[in-house]
Amino acid sequence: MANVANLDLDSESESAPRPPALAPELEPGAPSDTDLMLGIQAEDPEALSQLYDRYNGILKALILRVIHNEAEADDLLQEIFMEIWKQAKNFSAQKGKPLGWMVTLARRRAIDGLRKKQAYARAEERLQAETAQQPDAWVHNATEEEIEFADTRVLVRGVIDSLPPPQQQAIELAFFRGMSQREIAADTNTPLGTVKTRLELGLKKIYDGLKELKHEL
Amino acid sequence: MSFEEFQNRSRLYVIGALESEELDEFEQARKQFGQKGEDFIGECYALHEAFALSLRPAKSSAALKERLMSMVRERSHG
Repeated sequence: MANVANLDLDSESESAPRPPALAPELEPGAPSDTDLMLGIQAEDPEALSQLYDRYNGILKALILRVIHNEAEADDLLQEIFMEIWKQAKNFSAQKGKPLGWMVTLARRRAIDGLRKKQAYARAEERLQAETAQQPDAWVHNATEEEIEFADTRVLVRGVIDSLPPPQQQAIELAFFRGMSQREIAADTNTPLGTVKTRLELGLKKIYDGLKELKHEL
Repeated sequence: MSFEEFQNRSRLYVIGALESEELDEFEQARKQFGQKGEDFIGECYALHEAFALSLRPAKSSAALKERLMSMVRERSHG
């Protein structure tokens, strides 16, 4: 199995540039994500409460994309916010954005959870059922009408949807299911070299697209 | 490894999609490119945010938050 990269922000260089800003604008006067992380570092439960309100929907959607189980997703979401509470001291605003740190943590925990519970078979069945209902390779949990992130989502989805479906599928399997290139090749009955090319081309297009979006968000 | 190839590998690295035999070569190139390489890897983590933000937020119960906050307050007062 390929490695799942950890976002150890403290191990990155002091001078590393911040990634492109993607998070939506906040209401005037609302504390920034970094302010809330500083509050959590100071053990202020209200800061965690606000951060939860802001991002629980995004993080739960991410978890659901990995494990496809509502009850397990709720359990993991709770565990992840407890981990955010406990690990906040390891976050450094100079080295990255809170959302990126949280997403990386949540994804790692979700993929670990998937493997630990040996839920591959169940998730596979559910994913196939969902994919049959929604032919797009990049399917979504359309269970909530929250509009807070709608503008950002439309822009980011525009970038992702511009990829050829095989590239979307390869990235979907790598990012949301933690599959290695070999596993993707076996799962999709595709030559390994083709999988690598699809991942490289797709990720480059998304990366380049995000740089363009920086000026729109 | 050229810097362009390093960039391609970096994007695979941050989503955990490098194969083990590629990882050794990548780590060597990472040392070779030094700060420039580290800066680029840092930028690649924006992909994580983007994938999460591409999803429609999912709803959680109010009870879940109550449980979480109860645990947090117990811990902070303990």
